[in-house]
Amino acid sequence: MKKLMSLLFAAVVLVAGVAPALAETTLEKISRTGELTIGARTGSPPFAYVDAKNEWVGFSIDLVEQLVIPSISKKIGKPVKLVKKESTPPTRIPLLSSNAVDLIAGTMTDTRTRRDSVDFSITFFVTGAQFLVKKGSPIKGIGDIGGKRIAAQQGSTNAKIIRERVPTGQLREFPDQPAAFQALVQGQVDAFTNDGIQLAGLKVKAQNPADWEIVGDFYSYEPYGMAMRKGDADFRNAVNNGLFEGIESGKFFELYDKWFGPKGELPYPMSAAVRSFMLYQVVPK
Amino acid sequence: MKYQFNWSVLWSGQSGQWLLSGLILTLELSVLAWLMAVVLGTVAGAFRTAPWKPLRAVATFYVEFFRNVPLLVWMFFWYFGVPPLLPRALQDWVFAHSLEFWAAVCALGVYSGARFSEVLRSGIQSIPRTLIEASVASGLTVAQAYRHVILPIALRLIIPPATSESLNLLKNSSVALTISVAELTFQTRQIETYTAKAIEALTAGTLVYLVLCVTIASIMGWVERRTAIPGLITGGRGESR
Repeated sequence: MKKLMSLLFAAVVLVAGVAPALAETTLEKISRTGELTIGARTGSPPFAYVDAKNEWVGFSIDLVEQLVIPSISKKIGKPVKLVKKESTPPTRIPLLSSNAVDLIAGTMTDTRTRRDSVDFSITFFVTGAQFLVKKGSPIKGIGDIGGKRIAAQQGSTNAKIIRERVPTGQLREFPDQPAAFQALVQGQVDAFTNDGIQLAGLKVKAQNPADWEIVGDFYSYEPYGMAMRKGDADFRNAVNNGLFEGIESGKFFELYDKWFGPKGELPYPMSAAVRSFMLYQVVPK
Repeated sequence: MKYQFNWSVLWSGQSGQWLLSGLILTLELSVLAWLMAVVLGTVAGAFRTAPWKPLRAVATFYVEFFRNVPLLVWMFFWYFGVPPLLPRALQDWVFAHSLEFWAAVCALGVYSGARFSEVLRSGIQSIPRTLIEASVASGLTVAQAYRHVILPIALRLIIPPATSESLNLLKNSSVALTISVAELTFQTRQIETYTAKAIEALTAGTLVYLVLCVTIASIMGWVERRTAIPGLITGGRGESR
């Protein structure tokens, strides 16, 4: 019993010792450590992935490195180093709440439900869900998936929509994209649903891109934002200011072109509507 | 900035239903895999101590091959690796009949069987050699000695470590979510997807696993007491602690 009490006591002391650290704001934490820790994907080209040279790169990572970090270091008045950690849909919110990472820079859709738990930056990319199928498949869109086996990424908004709209579709949810795509390649599933841009990313990386087709109209709206701990307005402003300045100066569009332009990793031209949407998000100085 | 707990996500909406369906699938998966593991483990464990070399070699190969490769790899092997080896028609049939579930049962059963067999072997080896000699001297064949004397004693001896292995099996069943089996851990993630409340969902899953494991451990403890042979295997309980 005595042993148990002293153990309990030790636990209390430990928790109490950690508590003040939890109370500091994200900017204070960055200022103390000199590091901004982001959670990024490793298998979501071209947003964040490990490339052929074994480097962890992507559009989302560039946005943080070239727009967000300068804004934060201006705010706190000292240089900030970028630290990357892997995050996946099921782990990203816990990583944030446990302070393991400060910012999720990947392919996370901003939703009202998620806003109950985390805050989001402005939208930096818009896409919608579609289906990836073998060329010539009878599946042409969300209307054709009843009774079919559909792979989805676990923890994604797409799976949720399919379940609600087409309850007869047999969902198979995988924790990551490569496994889901492998299941499609081998025929375990008839289609793989994900955000259109991510499917396009998988398609160009496939062995024979011509064998695969992206079909269907967008059946969802997926605005990507960077997520951070809730209620930290100063940090959120610093992140948003970085993005605002990038959009204003044109740097944002340059980075977009680097990844999605005609010579980019994944050609996906930005529509005029999306361009105006990006510009309209920027609030004046 | 501080995380806002909201425990009501666990009983509002469909969360309860999801947890229940996940729990049922976890139990189905674990029970089937456990039966497979016990059969494979008993045979392999007995073979490993058998006085005939080829039997020992086969069993040793099975144990070392299957327990030394991570379970995750076995999940992928049975789900992605095996189907292409089947004829086309059979392939279509398994794809349409919850391949992921049966792949997970095989992966977990065969893997745990290898671990289980080591537990049984240590049980058999802890029995004095003279016992088997006495059995054979009394007119039993070696196979009969195993079946009527050695295994009944060994299986009783190994109940405590076998309980641990069984609990491991139950908890390892969560790896099946990597091949899209919607078991308990999967469902806790599902709740997270819908509510963005990961910590609450994980806590619920943890509690369910804990209750399951404690229940199994107590059942096994009861089995141990009920099957104890008076005078042969005592101690370790109650008075001698």
